[in-house]
This record gives sequence, C-alpha cells and structure tokens, in this order.
Amino acid sequence: MGMLRVMSRRGDDRLTWDQQKAQVGDPEALAAVREAERIFAQERAKGATAFKLDPGKPAQRIETFDETAEQIVLVPRVVGG
Amino acid sequence: MIPLTQQVLTMLGWIILALAISPMVWLIFQPYFKGLSSAERRAATLLHEILTAEQCRQLAWRGYVEIPSPSSTQRIYRVPRTRGYVQVIENGQAIMRLCIQPVEYLPDADVVVLHKLMIEANEDFYLQKANKYLCSE
Repeated sequence: MGMLRVMSRRGDDRLTWDQQKAQVGDPEALAAVREAERIFAQERAKGATAFKLDPGKPAQRIETFDETAEQIVLVPRVVGG
Repeated sequence: MIPLTQQVLTMLGWIILALAISPMVWLIFQPYFKGLSSAERRAATLLHEILTAEQCRQLAWRGYVEIPSPSSTQRIYRVPRTRGYVQVIENGQAIMRLCIQPVEYLPDADVVVLHKLMIEANEDFYLQKANKYLCSE
C-alpha cells in the first residue's frame, strides 16, 4: 500500500492506495492514485516539501509524485523564525 | 451567625482568587491537554514511526533528539521536543542555534518530524532558510 501524509494542524491527513491494484488498472485504485497526485501537486504549489520514505532507507526529497513510494510525507513551507 | 454581606464578600474573594490563578493552572496543564488531542496523537504516531528506537528514548528522557548531519560527521542537530531553537553541535560544542518554523500551526510531534526530514534529506535548504544565532564562548 502507498500512503500520502499531509501535515496539518489536525496531525496528518492520510490517503492510501493499493499499488498492486493500480498497476493492473483497477479503477478504484487508479482514482486513489490520481487523488493523491492532485493533493501532492496542490501542496507543492503552496510551497510544501515532499519526502519519500521507504523502510530501511534514508528519507529522500522528491519533486514529483511517485506512486511506487511506500510513504510520501508532505511538510508545509518553512520560514526562519 | 455570619452576616449576609460578609458571606457575599467571602464568595467574591474566592471568585477573584480563582480567576487570578486560572491562567497559571492552564499554563501548567496545557501540555497534558494538548497531548490528549487527536491531532497530537496522530502526530505522535508518525513521529514514532520515523524515529529510531534510540531516538525515541532520547526524546522521552532528555527532551530532545539528536540528528546527525548527512554532510558532516562532526555535526549533529539537537531538536527539542517542544518548540524552540535547534542547536547545532560540532565536535561536542554548541556552535549555533537555528530558528526555523512551518508557516502553519503543526502539533509539536510533527514539528520534530519536519526538522528530522529536512535535516536528513534537505540540509542545505534547511540551513539556508533558518535564522542563525552564533553561540559565543
């Protein structure tokens, strides 16, 4: 399962999709991937930074949505305090 | 028998006292109430998934988590559990404090995750964005 986590004041909003079903063209899984991709683009446009997290690997910053990622975390724009 | 005016004055006194101490009581218990909110619980779940077991222990016992710099083996970042400066430590000595924060409110645990991810995967940008305060001897 892939998961998109968007940090917000509510903790983090999550959206999951089934990668295997999406690969074989399952409409529901593809719709979830498209929705995750839309949220990803929307948050990136607001200045969020995206990180791909895969077990046993260091976090990796990504610029484009990766539906094969196990987990993507979007953190809001940061400023110097 | 206590006169009515004295009873009213006593009651007023207690009300004034309660109003005076309530902000202090709120300040003392606020972190515990925050920890009970669903947002903080969700953020804590993410934090525990992302930190190593050792980092979780460090956060619980010392109130901060140390994140090694990916670019320099001598440098570590000390991120506090609650909002505050991130200390930069090189060769065991604090050299700098960093102030960087998200533009929108996030639960405290999410802020720790944010620092960890930014340091580990986007250190240059993190340092570029942070306001830096050099530590003097």
